[in-house]
Amino acid sequence: MAAAKSNDNSKADGAENGIAGSGVKSVSSAKPTKYGYFLGCVMPVKMPWAEKATMIVSKHLGLDFDYMKETLCCVRPGVWKAMNPDWWLSVTAQNLANAEKQGITIVDTCNGCWISHYESLKELTEEPEKLKMVNEHLGKAGMHLKGDVKVKHYLELLHDDVGMEKIVASVVRPLTGIKVMRHVGCHARKHDETLPNDFDEILRATGVEIIDTPYDKTCCGLLLYFADSNQAILERIGKKMKTAQALGVDAYVIICSGCYDQFERGVKIYREEKGISFETPIIHLSELLALALGYEPEDFGMTKCRPIAADKFIEKVRAIAAKNAKAAGEKKKGGESL
Amino acid sequence: MSSEPQPLKSWIKLLEAGKKITTHRQSDENIVYPLRRTFRPAAPDIAKGSLKRDFEQGLVYYVGDEVENDRAACGLSRLPPTGRSYADAVAKKRVILEDAGVFKKAGYDKKKGTFDY
Repeated sequence: MAAAKSNDNSKADGAENGIAGSGVKSVSSAKPTKYGYFLGCVMPVKMPWAEKATMIVSKHLGLDFDYMKETLCCVRPGVWKAMNPDWWLSVTAQNLANAEKQGITIVDTCNGCWISHYESLKELTEEPEKLKMVNEHLGKAGMHLKGDVKVKHYLELLHDDVGMEKIVASVVRPLTGIKVMRHVGCHARKHDETLPNDFDEILRATGVEIIDTPYDKTCCGLLLYFADSNQAILERIGKKMKTAQALGVDAYVIICSGCYDQFERGVKIYREEKGISFETPIIHLSELLALALGYEPEDFGMTKCRPIAADKFIEKVRAIAAKNAKAAGEKKKGGESL
Repeated sequence: MSSEPQPLKSWIKLLEAGKKITTHRQSDENIVYPLRRTFRPAAPDIAKGSLKRDFEQGLVYYVGDEVENDRAACGLSRLPPTGRSYADAVAKKRVILEDAGVFKKAGYDKKKGTFDY
């Protein structure tokens, strides 16, 4: 797959920032990159705990990381490209033009937002006639897009720009003994397996044990829900959550806000229409990282507004931390006596 | 008797919301046999609720009092730095939607907030 122009541009200014799927890996940048967090539609409304944890973790790891301003819907490629690809390009370009003007690299935690930004930028920079068409529409709103902007998935940012060495070294509360199922989402594996592998590596860095299941690659069913609610909920979320329950994992870890939207919908439908309440909390990767970096659940609202309470999970994390602290104390005491 | 399972109630509710903001001017025959006449590429009813929100506020989900309270409880600003805080960005999006022909071709009446076919 050809690298997007934004990738080539980054090399020109000394920063070899990779885009997942391009096969290009990031190396240290001569000039610190300013990252703009693209919230999208779901994150600020349904996952404030994940938003807060993402901000905390990113700053803790030393990134120049702040919100991208004036963000709108990405817009959802699954809906918009199906209606009209030119509409999708024109509306998505508004976000790209805003980022370009703000001088930031767009960072997406949602796979849907990422694929929309990544693929539209690639198309617009490789096909000048489409960029021209888009700029005609943007021009009516007093905007312009050159294509000199970069797009990154949050997993890529953590894995490549922060680096695994730094993440591992920053863990002060290893979550050893915590068992998780994980869902990286379809769009993250659309181009290759780089992002799913990054996801697993970062998860393991926190100390958790990943439990593999036959449903790990099963789509969350977000777009399928428009067509067939039974297939989308019962055959997707239902099977995933029932498996998590049966295996007794401590949490279901996700990264994508779009997928979370569907998980939340599924959990509520099961509770309200089927009378089944799942108990495995759905946790964002940033929350796990925040805990592993030493933050308390209260620092990012982990106990607030979620469809499945994370109380038992938090209790277990605290018990493990206490046990580890006690063991470290005894080791130190033993060392002193020696 | 059909063994096809009934759609979930939440899905039916979403579909009804889309139908509620849609006006069909076709005759019954046109609805049953839409290919017999030229028709606009309609957005599916099931997605119309979210499209309407997107057209009106630039985002798929509204930020109301409950969301603002949840955000504050998690230590965030009550309003996110999205189109919810930047009316100008939403206004620009509507200009782009208009100029790209989205409103017209999707049959969206921006004054009434309905899809009209």
